[in-house]
Amino acid sequence: MSTILTWIAIGLLFAAGVYFVALLEQWSLQGYFDWAAPFNAFLRSFGQEEIRTRRYDTVFYEATPVIFIAVVLLAVAILPFARETVILDLGTAALFINAALVYIMVSLIMAGWSANGVYGMIGGWRAMAQLIAYSMAVVMAITAAVMRAESMAMTPIIQSQASLWNIFYQPVGFLLFYGAVMAIAFLPPFDLPTAEGELAGGAWAEFTGARKTLFRLGRLLLILTLSLAVTIFFLGGWLGPWLPGFVWTFIKTTLVAASFFWVGRYFPRIRHDHLLEWGWKYAVPAALFNILQVGIVLLL
Amino acid sequence: MVLTVALIIGTILFGIGLYGALSQTNLVMIMMGVELMLGASMLNLVAFWRYLHPEVYSIQMFVLVVMTVMALEAAVGFAIGTQRFRSKGSVESEEAADLKG
Amino acid sequence: MMELRIILLIVIGLIAIWFGWRVFRTDSMVRSAFSLLASMVAVGAMFLVMEAEFLGVLQIMMMGTEMSIMAIFMMMYMMDPGGLGEMDMTHQEKPSIIVAVIFGGISLAVILLTKWGDIIAEAPTPAQQNHDLGIEVMKRSMMIFESAGFSILTAMVAALATALIIHNNQIEKN
Repeated sequence: MSTILTWIAIGLLFAAGVYFVALLEQWSLQGYFDWAAPFNAFLRSFGQEEIRTRRYDTVFYEATPVIFIAVVLLAVAILPFARETVILDLGTAALFINAALVYIMVSLIMAGWSANGVYGMIGGWRAMAQLIAYSMAVVMAITAAVMRAESMAMTPIIQSQASLWNIFYQPVGFLLFYGAVMAIAFLPPFDLPTAEGELAGGAWAEFTGARKTLFRLGRLLLILTLSLAVTIFFLGGWLGPWLPGFVWTFIKTTLVAASFFWVGRYFPRIRHDHLLEWGWKYAVPAALFNILQVGIVLLL
Repeated sequence: MVLTVALIIGTILFGIGLYGALSQTNLVMIMMGVELMLGASMLNLVAFWRYLHPEVYSIQMFVLVVMTVMALEAAVGFAIGTQRFRSKGSVESEEAADLKG
Repeated sequence: MMELRIILLIVIGLIAIWFGWRVFRTDSMVRSAFSLLASMVAVGAMFLVMEAEFLGVLQIMMMGTEMSIMAIFMMMYMMDPGGLGEMDMTHQEKPSIIVAVIFGGISLAVILLTKWGDIIAEAPTPAQQNHDLGIEVMKRSMMIFESAGFSILTAMVAALATALIIHNNQIEKN
C-alpha cells in the first residue's frame, strides 16, 4: 500500500517539477515569474493554426515529436527516485541513458530535415555536430562514476556515494557532465540547434500547434530528467537525513534545474565553432584526466 | 527453434545487404549494404552466444570487434569519399574507372 | 517464456528486414540512412530479447550517431533536398539479386540441415554478464582489445590524412 502512495507522491512531485521548470524557462527569458504562463501557453497551442510547409516529409514530420517525448520517457524509466523505487531496473542503466540521449539528436535532425526549410535543416545538422563534440564528455564522466561504483546499475552508483558525493570525489567530471547535459537539453548558453536569434527557432522552426506543444513538453521533461541524472550520478541521489528518499531526490533535482536556468540567464551564448572547439580540444583531455584521477584514487 | 528463427532473420538481412552492396552505384549506399551485412553477422554471433554457449565471453568480445570494424569502415570510407568528391565531384562507382591500376 | 521470445524475435526481425529493404528502395538519401538506423535499432532490440543487454544498448547507442553521420555525408555528396527523384541508382541489378538469392539459399540449407545441439534455456544475469565480459576483455582477450583500440587510432589518422587537402600532392584536374 505504501509503495502505491509513494508512486502517487512521486507522480505529483514530477508534475510539479515540470510546472516549476516551465516557470523557470519563462523567468530566464523575461526576468519575472508569471504563475499562469505555462497554462496559458498550453491552452493557446490548441487554438493555434496548423501551418505546414510545402512538400514536407510526412512520416518524419509526424514521427519526430513522438520520438522526442518517447526517448525522454525511456530515460526517466531507468532513473531511481528512491531505494527500490524505479520503473525499470536495468543492469546497464548507465549506458542506457547515453543511448537514449543520442536519439534526442536523431529526433532533432529528423525534425529539421522533414520540414523542408533551410533554418530547420541547419539547426538539425548543428545539433549533430554538437552532440558528437560533447558526447565524449558525458560518456567519460559517467564512466568515472561507474568505475567508483564498480557497476553499471543505478542503485550501486548511488550507494557508492554514501561516504562522499561524487561532486567532491571527482569535481572535474561534475563540471564536464553539468555543461554537457545543458548542451544536450540545448539550454540557453548552448541553445544553438533551436537558436531563436539567428535561426528563427532552428530545428523546430516549422512546427506549430499540437506538435510544437509535444516538443516543448518533451523539452521540459528532458530538463527535469537530466537534472535527475545529475542528482543521481554526482549529488548522491536519494541520500540524505530525516526526510524520505524521494523527497531528497526532488529537492536536489529542482535545485539543479534552477541552477541550469540561472547559468543560462547570466552567461552569454556560445558561438557554434567555439562549442565544437571546447568540446574536442579541452573537454576530452579533461575527461581523460578525470578518469585517471578517479583510477588513481581508487587504487590508493 | 528459437536459434533457427534468429539465424534465418540474420540470413535475410545479410542477403539484403549483399544485394545492396553489389547493386548500388553510390559509395555511401555501398557502405550501407556493408553495414547491413555486418549487422546481420553480429545478430548471428549473439544468437550463437545466447543459445549455444552462454558461458563463453569471447563471442561477446568478437561482437565488440565487429562493432569497431563497422565504425572504422565508415570513417575510412567517408575519408576516401570526401577526397574523391573534392577531386572529381562525384562518388559514383561507375565513374571511378580511372582508379583501375 | 521461450514462445514469447520467439514471437518477439519474429516481429522485431520482420521490422529489421522491412527497414533494411527500404534502405535500397527510397528516392531520398536521408530517408534511406534513417531506414538503416531503424533496421539497426531493431537488431539491437533483438540483442535485448536475446538477453545480451550490454551489447544491445551499445548497438543502439552507436548506431544513432553513426547513421546520422552517414545521413549528413549522403547529403553532402548527393544534394538531397533537391533529391535524385526518379533517377536509377543501381547497376548490375540482376546478377546482384541472383548472387543474394543463391547465398541466401545455401545458408538457409546450412541453417536447416545442421544439428545445432541443445538450446540452453538460462543465460547469466546482465550484471553478471557485464562483470564477466570485463574480466574477459582485461584477461584473455586483452591483446585483441588493445589491437582493436590501436586500429581505431590508425583508422583515425588514416582517414584524416586521406581527407585533408595536401597541396603538393594534389591530383591534376584534366
